[in-house]
Amino acid sequence: MADIQTSNLQQFREGLLDNNPVLVQLLGMCPTLAVTNTLENALVMGAAATFVVVMSNLVTSLLRHQIKPHVRILIFTLTIATFVTIADMFLKARMFEVSRKLGPFVPLIIVNCMIICRAEVVAIKNGLWRSLADAFGIGLGFTMALSILGVVREVLGSGTLLNYPVTPASFEPHLWIIMVLPPGAFLTLGIVIGIVNYLRQRDRKGGAA
Amino acid sequence: MTLGIGAMLGIFLSVALVNNLVLAGFLGICPFLGVSRKIDMAFGMGCAVTFVMTISGIVTWLIVHVVLVPIGTALGDPEALFFLKYVAFIMVIASMVQLVEMYVRKFFPPLYTAFGVFLPLITTNCAILGACLLIDMKPEYQNLLSATIFAFGGGIGFMLAITLMAGVREHIRFSDVPECLRGPAITLLVAGILALAFMGFAGIGK
Repeated sequence: MADIQTSNLQQFREGLLDNNPVLVQLLGMCPTLAVTNTLENALVMGAAATFVVVMSNLVTSLLRHQIKPHVRILIFTLTIATFVTIADMFLKARMFEVSRKLGPFVPLIIVNCMIICRAEVVAIKNGLWRSLADAFGIGLGFTMALSILGVVREVLGSGTLLNYPVTPASFEPHLWIIMVLPPGAFLTLGIVIGIVNYLRQRDRKGGAA
Repeated sequence: MTLGIGAMLGIFLSVALVNNLVLAGFLGICPFLGVSRKIDMAFGMGCAVTFVMTISGIVTWLIVHVVLVPIGTALGDPEALFFLKYVAFIMVIASMVQLVEMYVRKFFPPLYTAFGVFLPLITTNCAILGACLLIDMKPEYQNLLSATIFAFGGGIGFMLAITLMAGVREHIRFSDVPECLRGPAITLLVAGILALAFMGFAGIGK
């Protein structure tokens, strides 16, 4: 029992840090770039994707003995599409403004390769708890990566954080307007991935020495 | 239903250049980063995407306006069945890709070998689903002709972006990039600069 516990914890940690879907595996890039112009959008997107990956892993894991291998991708896609529809309706009903800003990127969670990848790699082969631990790890890792980008872009691009002004008056956000526009997303993500790579390479060298 | 040639060109330029799906709309980033190592591969991917996007755009438009709305109206509310949209769209795209693959393999074998592995990959290309959703969300694309032009223009825009990127990356191979920036990081930085360049198109059309 004890080693199952640790392995679940490891699975969780793996998704959150070592195998972070965005910063290391480079999956689910479209929403990462598109909705991180403010921290609020990033958090809502992260929460929606976490909900979908948890539910899809749960269903896939429970059905893993029933699913025939050749139709599995179809089953995954339909499961994900169902939960995305639920998440989308919830956002439209409760958080209409944010849902309008996220636009097509909520329905686009359906084709987010991160989620289908977890169903294929983990949930179809493992029991319920392990799949859930994995889904939470991946979901939170995704949210974390989105939030990093969201914070950088919102502070530099609009001088605010969650819509509260945080920068000193002498800072002029309009000079950094590029950060909330599309090029800013590519540049920020490129630099963040560069930093992550640098840290990982330094760790590996440190470990070898 | 009639659309002037100017309006048609406006839609096409707007989606292919000004609001380029990849560089301004962040759709289809995965193949944009993954399949942009060589120009000929990038061009093949671009052609396959344009092809499938145009067909899916037409078919999903037909699904909404010929199937979901009339049945919903018969049930009393035109939007009664709209909760089925996403499931229907992804089914259409997955089966369209399958159908196109079989058709091309049977009737155009050279084209099939040219497209190769790209056709199945397109199912999970969010640019396709994204274009269908955008057509569905915007009221100005409520007739079939403008929806078709939008889908086709989106595909051409994708092809343009991915081919340009491949051209740049073929040259990057010969330059001295810092070790931690190699691979995806430098590709994203280049994409940022390309996106800056594409912002220069803003103002064309409308």
